[in-house]
Amino acid sequence: MSLNFYRRVAFGLSPNEKPDKDPLNWAINQLDTIPNLLWPGTIPKEKDLRKKYGEWVYGDREVLRKKFKNDKHAYRKAKDELRIKTGERYFELNEHAIRHFQTKYSKQPVFERFWLFWGNHFAISEKDFLAEFSTGPYQREIIRPNMVKTFEEMVQSVTTSWCMIHHLDNSESFGPNSKKGMEWGETINENHARELLELHTVSPNAGYTQEDVIQLAYIMTGWAHKWDRKNLETGDIWFDQEMHQKGDKVVLGVKYKNDAKRELAKVIHDLATHPICIKFVSTKLCRHFITDEPTDEMIKPVIEAWNKSNGSLIEIHKAVITQAYKYNEITHKFHPPEIWLMQLSRMFDLNIPLSFEKMNYTFKLKPNNRQRQLSWILREIGHSPYRAKQPNGWSDLEVDWVSPELLLRRFWFASVELPMLVKSGNRSHGFILSCLKNNFEDHENMASLIDNFRFGTSDYDLGQKYGVICNLPGVLKI
Amino acid sequence: MNCTRRNFLIGGSTTLFLSGYFPKISFASMQKKNLIIISLRGGMDGLTAVPVIGDKRLKKLRKKLILEDVLNLNSDFGLHPKLEIFHKLWQKNQAAFVHATNIPYTGRSHFDGQNLMETGAHIPYKEKTGWLGRGLLASNIIGKGLAISLPMPLLLRGVPQNNNFFPSPDFVETKLIDQIYNEFKGEHNELIKSTLDTIRQRPLSMQIATDSDDRKKLALEAAKQLKDQSGPRVAVFDLDGFDTHAAQGGVDGAHADELEEVNKIVTILHENLGQAFDNTLILTLTEFGRTIKQNGGYGTEHGYGSAILMAGGLLKKSQVYTDWPGLKKKELFEGRDLNSTIDSRAVYNSAMSVCFNQDPEFLRKEVFWGDELPDLSQELFKI
Repeated sequence: MSLNFYRRVAFGLSPNEKPDKDPLNWAINQLDTIPNLLWPGTIPKEKDLRKKYGEWVYGDREVLRKKFKNDKHAYRKAKDELRIKTGERYFELNEHAIRHFQTKYSKQPVFERFWLFWGNHFAISEKDFLAEFSTGPYQREIIRPNMVKTFEEMVQSVTTSWCMIHHLDNSESFGPNSKKGMEWGETINENHARELLELHTVSPNAGYTQEDVIQLAYIMTGWAHKWDRKNLETGDIWFDQEMHQKGDKVVLGVKYKNDAKRELAKVIHDLATHPICIKFVSTKLCRHFITDEPTDEMIKPVIEAWNKSNGSLIEIHKAVITQAYKYNEITHKFHPPEIWLMQLSRMFDLNIPLSFEKMNYTFKLKPNNRQRQLSWILREIGHSPYRAKQPNGWSDLEVDWVSPELLLRRFWFASVELPMLVKSGNRSHGFILSCLKNNFEDHENMASLIDNFRFGTSDYDLGQKYGVICNLPGVLKI
Repeated sequence: MNCTRRNFLIGGSTTLFLSGYFPKISFASMQKKNLIIISLRGGMDGLTAVPVIGDKRLKKLRKKLILEDVLNLNSDFGLHPKLEIFHKLWQKNQAAFVHATNIPYTGRSHFDGQNLMETGAHIPYKEKTGWLGRGLLASNIIGKGLAISLPMPLLLRGVPQNNNFFPSPDFVETKLIDQIYNEFKGEHNELIKSTLDTIRQRPLSMQIATDSDDRKKLALEAAKQLKDQSGPRVAVFDLDGFDTHAAQGGVDGAHADELEEVNKIVTILHENLGQAFDNTLILTLTEFGRTIKQNGGYGTEHGYGSAILMAGGLLKKSQVYTDWPGLKKKELFEGRDLNSTIDSRAVYNSAMSVCFNQDPEFLRKEVFWGDELPDLSQELFKI
């Protein structure tokens, strides 16, 4: 088995890891439990960060905008101060550190790859201040604990999470015949219903109609955040009967009797166990780990495992890994910038993320450049994980990641920035060679390409070497 | 010159064109025509950019947002003082505006609206390609799109081999690319290899690192590329920050700052395109306009109808092209927003037909699924 399997399903091997005798077992054994988050710094609770979110929007919208309505300069200044005080510019940086620390040091890196996958399947795209305060904790508290449960349970949790409800506007969706809908003349917002069908479960392949979207939106009415004057839209999610559309609903030919808050769980059950949903999500999993266009033959065992286990994610993950193993030698997969960076960080033991002591934040000053470094790199290489542009998340297709500038950014990172992230003890040529040997079958060929610089240890020399080896076809792609 | 078919093949078409061998093809149609789209994200307020003059109702509803001194366009409309270049070009018939227009989207979500302004579709997220990309593909213009952004914008997707310019913070040595280029072998590496080809063929000026936050430098380079007869024919700029819920202000407010950015880009393009400006169309694109009434923070909320700012030598004349719906309460969309009486996609379809030398009917079918979009080329553009 090629060493690239460790990059196909994980992040490669760090300098102190060795290839396993049985790579398939090595990978499969990582999926039964949820590894602890290893980040030694602060890992704030979703609810606490939501409170900060509330402080920020309240302070801006209800206080500053009114106070400085005639003075844009004073308004901007006051707003910047509020950013510092509420951590509006900080928490996302900390979340990136938590995430990258995990992919770098986790003893269950294969699990972590699935974590990234599901966070992107149920993506929170760039909207309002979600990336600043909420998307990170959503990944930790909603996505992660569900990865040892069933797909259906995952969909239930995601659909009723504050983050997804805010992201897809379900709090603004009123049953037109509900008490509040009638009183205020409000109606549904279909956004969340449409994405639940299209992106999260059955996909357009199920052939649902606009009427199905409307009916599902009716079922979902009432699932909203609580609202009060001080916390605005950041209150907890509850079921508001007074927003809920009365009467029976029909989605994809199935009738759901008027049953208030219980309707949602029923329809999610039907969607999450729908054969077309199973095929759609299995295909996405195979696309992520095997190749951009997986064949039916590749996907079939995943579907079988899904059916046999009633949607147990542990079993589904194991089947995906088994298929990835089976097809490892004959398929290719391009890795998007963030996974590429995580792999370089693990394989070459780079100095990211910053140590937790240095990530400490006092809410008195702007985060410093060092604290912003990892997030800055992610942005510069074009893959800031919690800022997908659309609710379908970041693409898993090579064609979306190969623009001239996006490739040049990788050259830039590897040849200019990366040398500054090499630890002082790791600057020798021998270190690079041993990392290559640990991770690549054709390490000798790779070494020959950088042999001219074997005596150099300056940043420039390291840039010459890493610029080449990090961007070889077998590194950008497996 | 006695030209045989054999000569044609050897000499290539360029020399033949220059020798005047095909008398039917005028010089003008040989010239490359450029289409430049500037995306204004956040919801551009058409009534701030191109305010209607003397409307008492607007004055009443927007007490704190009224512009004291607007630039004069005609008896009905003025121009925001920060849009100076448009005013200058207006005198030369090289600036015009479409007013009370929008994509057919009334949902007021940035999110969905921006998706739709790029795909040109009716249902958010349904289409995965942009109207501009589809227009280029339908016109068989491949490899001529230039995005001034890091990812390929949705607007340009759907046609292969687009270039983009948004340089990294530091210089990448070309020898690095040369060094690994030959390592990309085999069918599965073809896409990367062909992109490396695009990179290697880029003019030197595009290889230099610059500050990608400096829009001036980006616009300068874009102008340089567009000016080149064999360069890109389409460029896409991206601006955001038009979502002014607070302190929108008048002449100097937050919205004015954003308009100033548009003005800067168009100024640079105008100055640096030189003669090529005569064969260029610049059009703005936004997801929606803003409410008529100011809100509690002296800003505005998400609305519906907006305006398209246009510049370039391919415009027919200076005009505010509109079917003005009025600002009385009952004339407003849902009693609060400027209505849209012109589907802005009709403007974009017509602009593509002019710049890509295509039948607008054909493009309407290929790009916009045959939606009812009147051909406005005669009214708006030089054809």
